[in-house]
Amino acid sequence: MRSRAALGVLVMGVPLALALLGPLFAGEPGPRAASFTLGNGHWLGTDFTGRDVGREILLGGRSVVLVALAATLLAYVVALPLGLIGALTHRTWLEELLMRPLDVLLAVPSLLMILLVASVLTPDATGLALLVALVNIPDAARIVRAAAAEAASRPAVEALRMQGETWWRMAVGYVGRSVARTLAADAGVRLTGVLYLVATAAFLGVGVAPDASDWAVMVDRNRTGLFVQPWAVVVPALLIVALTMGGNLLFDALLEKRRRV
Amino acid sequence: MSGVRSWVVRRLLLGLGQTAAVVLLVFALTEALPGDAAVVLAGDQPDPDRIAAIREAMELDRPAHERLLDWAAGLLHGDFGTSLVSDRPVSTYLADGFGPTLLLAGLTVALLVPTGVGLGVLAARHEGRFVDRLVSSTTLGVYAVPEFAFGVLLITVFALRLGWLPPTAVGYGTDLLGHPAALVLPVVVLLSRPVCSLARLVRAGMIDALDSPYVAHARRYGLSGVRLRYAHALPNAVAPAAQQLARTIDWLLGGVIVVEALFVIPGLGTVLINAVAERDVPVVQGLAVVFGLSTVVLNLGADLVTHRLTPRAGVAA
Repeated sequence: MRSRAALGVLVMGVPLALALLGPLFAGEPGPRAASFTLGNGHWLGTDFTGRDVGREILLGGRSVVLVALAATLLAYVVALPLGLIGALTHRTWLEELLMRPLDVLLAVPSLLMILLVASVLTPDATGLALLVALVNIPDAARIVRAAAAEAASRPAVEALRMQGETWWRMAVGYVGRSVARTLAADAGVRLTGVLYLVATAAFLGVGVAPDASDWAVMVDRNRTGLFVQPWAVVVPALLIVALTMGGNLLFDALLEKRRRV
Repeated sequence: MSGVRSWVVRRLLLGLGQTAAVVLLVFALTEALPGDAAVVLAGDQPDPDRIAAIREAMELDRPAHERLLDWAAGLLHGDFGTSLVSDRPVSTYLADGFGPTLLLAGLTVALLVPTGVGLGVLAARHEGRFVDRLVSSTTLGVYAVPEFAFGVLLITVFALRLGWLPPTAVGYGTDLLGHPAALVLPVVVLLSRPVCSLARLVRAGMIDALDSPYVAHARRYGLSGVRLRYAHALPNAVAPAAQQLARTIDWLLGGVIVVEALFVIPGLGTVLINAVAERDVPVVQGLAVVFGLSTVVLNLGADLVTHRLTPRAGVAA
């Protein structure tokens, strides 16, 4: 398991470092050259608008990673109180009121929901983060509720209640703390799922400008030149594959370790 | 018995609720438009004639609840309204794109079960050894990779470098069955994620089942390894996987949209993406209802099947 985690770190490290540090090294944009050419001082050739592919690669990871991180965080900000209240309340109607609508939302395929909103609203990067967070809330809230319900049924909570501790103290101080580990593991797995959604949405043109410096957009827009200049497509595609693949290997290894402890 | 029956009734009610929610949600999105919907939808061509035409086509002058009822009643008769862009009925769009999408999804599901179960059993047989580690790491890694990135790499290798397969389905129209070579890469890409999740579940279930007392007992009777694995252990290993099969339908629908865009296949996904780009709301609504309802119905079916297989498990509803 340790080797798998190491492999995950290794595979994910390259695209992650490139995404976060790349923009610092990108430098000023050079003059535009002809579309889809190789050589002439361009390591990886030029893209569909004649920009240097190497520079676009350095710039293009940040949006994917930041939008995914923001969306994961946002999903939990909403899901955490929803799930905790659902698990701790003794009023069945309140629990039903909070959790049933989420069951219903779960039925709509995530990508479909994003495309539906995109058809009327043309979201930007912030909008995309909000949307991806929204489609992740139902599932996250269900996991929070399941984990919290288990912790809330322990004798310790009963004892706290009989001592007359406040609801806040029980929910945050005890139940919240006992589910933190489970949720940290879930957040890792969710992040890879969110990365998938963000990249796929960007590939389909949601939440990004048509000529944005974004790995997923690069794959989409430079496809027309695949036969002339494959590097403009292959390199960003490889980076996205490495990012999601490495992330999943790493988070699963961490999850496994947690399970065994 | 009454417990089982009440569970089925509750699950059916949830399905009905989800159906109503999908219809409501799809409709509400057009209502959520800021300002004058007709102006927003006209987008790049905001001339008064077009705005008036959109307003009339979508009957925006009538109150929302009346339009919702009309639209929902139309859906029951298979009337999805007319396109804002071409004035063709939405149902003709659906009819045109239906064939290729059904072919892709059908082929994928048909291949998904044998490949996923086969890989899972293979890994479980060699638990902890090289084959298992290879299958487990690969399925775990590929599981999270977006279809478009995986697909574009496959195109580069198999169409560009090796020249074995066509890079897209351009020029074949809807007659994909006549050109099976064009179907290979799309189906492989569509399979990639669901196969991985199915194989992982079958592997875990199989390892548990092979360790169980009843399999040990069967082994003591001298049953052959094949019979042991497929007749005794496997049926118990697939119950949790059946549930997952329903969840993969969500992915399959998303995957179909991406794969059709990537390989330029004229199916429902392509129609949807074009309609989204042209802000053709009635077409988007119609397709969303069709996609959403197929998910609801397939999930319902899978839950009922899983419940039949493992009545104890008490599937959430």
